[in-house]
Amino acid sequence: MALNLRQKQTECITRMLNLNQPVNSTGTANEEVYKILIYDKYCQNMLSPLIHVKDLRKHGVTLYFLIDKDRKPVHDVPAVYFVQPNQSNIQRIVNDASHSLYDSFHLNFSSSIPRPLLEDLASGMLNSDSINRISKVHDQYLEFVTLEENLFSLAQKSSYVQLNDPSAGDREIEEIIEKIVSGLFCVLATLAVVPIIRCPRGGPAEMVASALDQRMRDHLLSKNNLFSEGGNFASSFQRPILCIFDRTFELSVGIQHDFRYRPLVHDVLGLKLNRLSVPGEKGGMRSYELDSFDPFWVANGSLEFPEVAIEIETQLNKYKKDVDEVNRRTGGNAEEFDGQDLIGNTKHLMNAVNSLPELTERKQVIDKHTNIATVLLGEIKERSLDSYAKKEYDMMVRGGIDRNELLSVLKGKGTKMDKLRFAIMFLISTESIPQSEIKSLNVSLASANSASRSNIVDWAEKLYGQSISAVTAGVKNLLSNDRQLALTRTVDALMEGRPNPEIDSYVLYDPRAPKSSSGASHLKGPFKEAIVFMIGGGNYVEYGSLQELALRQQPVKHVIYGTTEILTGAEFVEQLSLLGQKMGLGSSSAPPTH
Amino acid sequence: MAKIRDRTEDFKDVVRQTALSLGYNESKMASILSSFIIHKPLQRTSFTKAALKTLESIRTLEQFIMQHRKDYVDMHRTTEQERDSIEHEVTIFIKACKDQIDILKNSISGEEANSRGWLGIRGDHSNADTIAHKHGVVLILSERLHSVTAQFDQLRARRFQDAINRRIPRKKMNRVSSSNATEIPKSINSELREPDEPQPEPLRVQQQLLDDETRALQVELSSLLDAVQETETQMVEMSALNHLMSTHILQQAQQIELLYEQAVEATSNVELGNKELSQAIQRNSSSRTFLLLFLFEEPMEMGCELIDLQPAVF
Repeated sequence: MALNLRQKQTECITRMLNLNQPVNSTGTANEEVYKILIYDKYCQNMLSPLIHVKDLRKHGVTLYFLIDKDRKPVHDVPAVYFVQPNQSNIQRIVNDASHSLYDSFHLNFSSSIPRPLLEDLASGMLNSDSINRISKVHDQYLEFVTLEENLFSLAQKSSYVQLNDPSAGDREIEEIIEKIVSGLFCVLATLAVVPIIRCPRGGPAEMVASALDQRMRDHLLSKNNLFSEGGNFASSFQRPILCIFDRTFELSVGIQHDFRYRPLVHDVLGLKLNRLSVPGEKGGMRSYELDSFDPFWVANGSLEFPEVAIEIETQLNKYKKDVDEVNRRTGGNAEEFDGQDLIGNTKHLMNAVNSLPELTERKQVIDKHTNIATVLLGEIKERSLDSYAKKEYDMMVRGGIDRNELLSVLKGKGTKMDKLRFAIMFLISTESIPQSEIKSLNVSLASANSASRSNIVDWAEKLYGQSISAVTAGVKNLLSNDRQLALTRTVDALMEGRPNPEIDSYVLYDPRAPKSSSGASHLKGPFKEAIVFMIGGGNYVEYGSLQELALRQQPVKHVIYGTTEILTGAEFVEQLSLLGQKMGLGSSSAPPTH
Repeated sequence: MAKIRDRTEDFKDVVRQTALSLGYNESKMASILSSFIIHKPLQRTSFTKAALKTLESIRTLEQFIMQHRKDYVDMHRTTEQERDSIEHEVTIFIKACKDQIDILKNSISGEEANSRGWLGIRGDHSNADTIAHKHGVVLILSERLHSVTAQFDQLRARRFQDAINRRIPRKKMNRVSSSNATEIPKSINSELREPDEPQPEPLRVQQQLLDDETRALQVELSSLLDAVQETETQMVEMSALNHLMSTHILQQAQQIELLYEQAVEATSNVELGNKELSQAIQRNSSSRTFLLLFLFEEPMEMGCELIDLQPAVF
């Protein structure tokens, strides 16, 4: 049973578009065939990687609008609302109903709508006397964005900053944890699995894990719950494991430069919701879509950049050969032109006509990636990203670099952000940092025109001056020579279930087991499937590494990776600097709060 | 599966409670709750009725094709004539559906034109959203029709493929027989020369002449047959190609419709955008005129100070 998150989410959405009636392909004449879809910004982001506009039409959706847009009445149609349950959306719905914009309203909320909001909705409707317009109210439990089959994001911004903010009170922290738990609950509900939960002790990961465990226990108490349809999987073989981590577990992955295709495109060109905008060859901006329907992207996303360029070349040559062959077979070969060959020629012509669409598509894909690779190459050369990636890798493996080399890099090519990231990687990779080093680092950073950001270095040093220095050392030890991330090793160990000093201290939660039972050993047994969740921000490097792990196993295992948001290195460092400011490290006069 | 997700019962509960707290009396409560159970029969516009009818016809067409599919494709179940008649019926059906869709399309643009008449203010029933929605319905219908047509085109292509395949071996047979036929006249000619010298009975000569004529005729007829069959094959191929082309053309028509719909939706934004732009331009030009006038009216003695001021104004 391979968990395919994207497919399950698409199924739920299809059912919703069918007005929550069972999807019937032969379908008798359904009176409510044409409908209008209305969503809010969050749900729009969720729908855009999943469904194209053409597919919406297959389900009878004629128009689709944002809920905030000014809309006019359309008679005769039911309206399907798909929004987050919050105050402003409810107000808008009440407004629409009171103006009788549509004949009937089918309300779908991306997560469970709480009772107070339901009451607001009811009172609003009663006051405007439009209660008869509401047909149905549904909770869809779909509050997450699935980018690929095994990759999801909760699209919750700045959770790292909020969780580590020194001025945040208990209340705020609880709210954030609640939001994360709600998102995770939606993912599990869509997959219809009750996993075994494991996480390291202490920190946000344990808080989220225990809150999620509680929520699932409460939910499972009712007989007809979301998970009962999945069947009862008693043995741990069938249940997946949910591993929850916090970003602080491995900071380096969020910051370092990587040289593989997918992380490069995300980091350098800004891939968002599987869409990308790059300057085209003729000058304008071109927008591309990069998802699992693009065969080149799927096959070559995890290759290093030079190999990708070679692959594009190969594909282009193959395409040219195929086109030449088609031309040869159907082209005017005058000397062979007699009656006998006419039939053969026509057959070839028919084949050629049939293969034209496929050839055009291949050419489009090749052109797309050529364009992307060209723009990438320009950026790489300008910022010498290849040397950053290599030196950072060397630093992590060897534990520091020569001081002169460090200074030369800081004086060399690259944007301010690149140098900053390099400096932070240096701090992470070296174990002991003498004070003089910090000063000179500050000086060279300042001279490289990043005066305002030199405080980051202060912050980083202080952060590691705390007990987290132990984590740093631990992180470094976990790294092996073959570039495996600490996360990947830990997940591997957790999935195998053998006693392992690294993970033995990890907490275990099982929502199905009664509270009093001890952590039965069979629950730690080998798992075929895993869901890995990173609080605070993840990226394509981790995703790629986990996929490699899954494919490497015998038999092939299955890993789903999710995070609160997908961040580029630059975005994460921005959050870190924000955190540094909040910690009061911005000005030299303010004493550190910790 | 959807049981737990359906909150409609919860909602009704909440409505009941809220109504109580607002002090609704019994009859009002009853009417509200009953409106949940019994939905008022929707009054459909003529447009929707027509659209649903068209949808029904397309579904019927699909079913018809499904039913006769086996007969059509399998070589030995039907004759060529029956296949032709199936094709003919389907073509008529497709044309009828296409006409219905065209009528719907024209009714939208007709309504659009009518409503613009009075001071450019659109009537209640034909705002931008409704028009876009109607275009959407028409587009969905034509896409549906197109997919059914494409299915049938595939069946047709298979039929022609079979026809072509059948022709090829026959052609080869004809080739062999025609090469034999060319040899016969030679032998006839050689035989004809011989009777010149001896003096056989005139009957035999006459019979031989008749035989020769028959054989010559035979050769001529078989070569004619050859030519005719060849032409027929070519015709079959040409029409097969034609059908393939027509599918692609139909696809193009679809794309054009799509562009049209997008244009309709975009006009509402572009109109606003254009208005804003023209207002901004107006404001810009009027302010510039004002400033120029202001500056020019100043006495020239102001001199360099004014000249210094000018760049700062913009």
